[in-house]
Amino acid sequence: MAQISELNFFVTYILVAILLFSFTALFALFAVYAERKVSAFIQDRLGPMETGKFGSLQTLADILKMLQKEFIIPRAADKVLFVVAPVIIFISVYMGFASLPWAPDLIPSKINLGVFYVFAIVSVESVGILMAGWGSNNKYSLLGALRSVAQVVSYEIPAGIAIISAVMISQSLDLQEVSRLQGILTDQTTKFFGFWDVTKVGGIFAWNIFQAPHLIIAYVIYFIASLAECNRAPFDIPEAESELVSGFHTEYTGIRFAFVFLGEYSMMFLVGMFGVLLFLGGWNTPLPNIGSVTLADWTTGTAWGIIWIVAKVLLVVFVQMWIRWTLPRLRVDQLMDLCWKVLTPLAFLCMLISGVWRLLVM
Amino acid sequence: MNLEQVVFYVFAAVVLSSALLVVVSRNLVRSIFLFFITLFSMAGVFVFALADFVALTQLVIYVGGVLVLMIFAFLLSNKHILDNPESLKTKLFGFHNLPAILVAFLFFGILLWCISLAQIDQLAWIQGSAGNTLEVTDNTIHNIGITLMTKYLLPFEVVSIFLLMALVGAAHLARKERKP
Repeated sequence: MAQISELNFFVTYILVAILLFSFTALFALFAVYAERKVSAFIQDRLGPMETGKFGSLQTLADILKMLQKEFIIPRAADKVLFVVAPVIIFISVYMGFASLPWAPDLIPSKINLGVFYVFAIVSVESVGILMAGWGSNNKYSLLGALRSVAQVVSYEIPAGIAIISAVMISQSLDLQEVSRLQGILTDQTTKFFGFWDVTKVGGIFAWNIFQAPHLIIAYVIYFIASLAECNRAPFDIPEAESELVSGFHTEYTGIRFAFVFLGEYSMMFLVGMFGVLLFLGGWNTPLPNIGSVTLADWTTGTAWGIIWIVAKVLLVVFVQMWIRWTLPRLRVDQLMDLCWKVLTPLAFLCMLISGVWRLLVM
Repeated sequence: MNLEQVVFYVFAAVVLSSALLVVVSRNLVRSIFLFFITLFSMAGVFVFALADFVALTQLVIYVGGVLVLMIFAFLLSNKHILDNPESLKTKLFGFHNLPAILVAFLFFGILLWCISLAQIDQLAWIQGSAGNTLEVTDNTIHNIGITLMTKYLLPFEVVSIFLLMALVGAAHLARKERKP
């Protein structure tokens, strides 16, 4: 019996891993289509219209094309590094999903150090990018990789400190615990802006950014830094088309290119979800209890949790796309100035306020 | 042998073999990327020792920081130098290697001797700590935080000042020369 239950245990874990993988793949399919449609809307075009109704089968067709393409390895490339790099890029992002909770009792791996784990595992991506840049043996790829890693490493600092200021309010590194403290399931007293007790009201008022208003600034810092970590416009100098062809993935074709892209879009979802969990209430409902109309009680549960978190993250992803297609690219020095002279001091200020807030107000 | 032990030995084997390859490999860039595997599986071994915080810190500092900096230094240097690092003699145990081999084996011998002298099983604090063990579900960070702020406050502060000095030095070096 013991062996069978142990077997079940492993089968569950493998199933969860496969589910998460198919989710990221499906999300990437959807997001590429959404990106095209959003960019088309912003630029007053129609976007893909030919394949399927409103071009809805366009990305599926693209994937089919990519699967059939030939693997091309440049003759001068370092073959091992070139082949392994896209896999490392994707896996580092994919492993991050392991400790992100989806609903009150739904989390792939409940670990005490969830926040730190996600932060640590995502930093592995830069090794993959450097590997791709070096392995391609191409000036554009190498420059793109260098720029990308310089940017990611710099922006990790304001992002990390903004995360710490949220963690100081929650007093836990367990992402499930952090989300639980932002809704009606909490076992502590929650106060809206530090004066109105909303422990029983819940909803949007109990989210971290409203429990401590300076976290709104911290979230904006985190959001900007997360754009830089995804290498997305206005921080896309690593793949600036006008200068570097397409940066570190210039030489990739077919399914390997698809893996790089899958990594990028999963990263968008991952950083969005991480931000939602820390600042925007996680899987908690935005609807508060109003007297006898207990909207928050009605809309809390496993299914509702998944719905809320996916809705919130998709909203964040939409904002990421919106920003990409409306803002111009930053120059390298402007990028570093923004990181070190604006975001980092502001993030430190947020951390300081968090400490004072925790001691004096909460 | 249960599954945990199998996984532990797999991790340990990966650590040792990749570390050996790092040293033996002629291709410097590849050996740096192999070092990544060493560090990553080392983090895995830490997880099995229930030191999850140490494992993650290892990832953040060594993989995300030190290793990336090392790769940076390589990428910014000349590829020609990296590909042909001096014409080394091809013999495995050449005469010029003899001092290094001697030192390495002597050091290994001293280590073995010290370990046998210490008699780890007989140490009082190890025998006394039989019941004082961690559970998998224990939260280690509270302990780490409290000991850092009480017992190890002075080393902690010294390290922070040391890091501050390094930061100031780096900022000074990176600064533009002011024109007279």
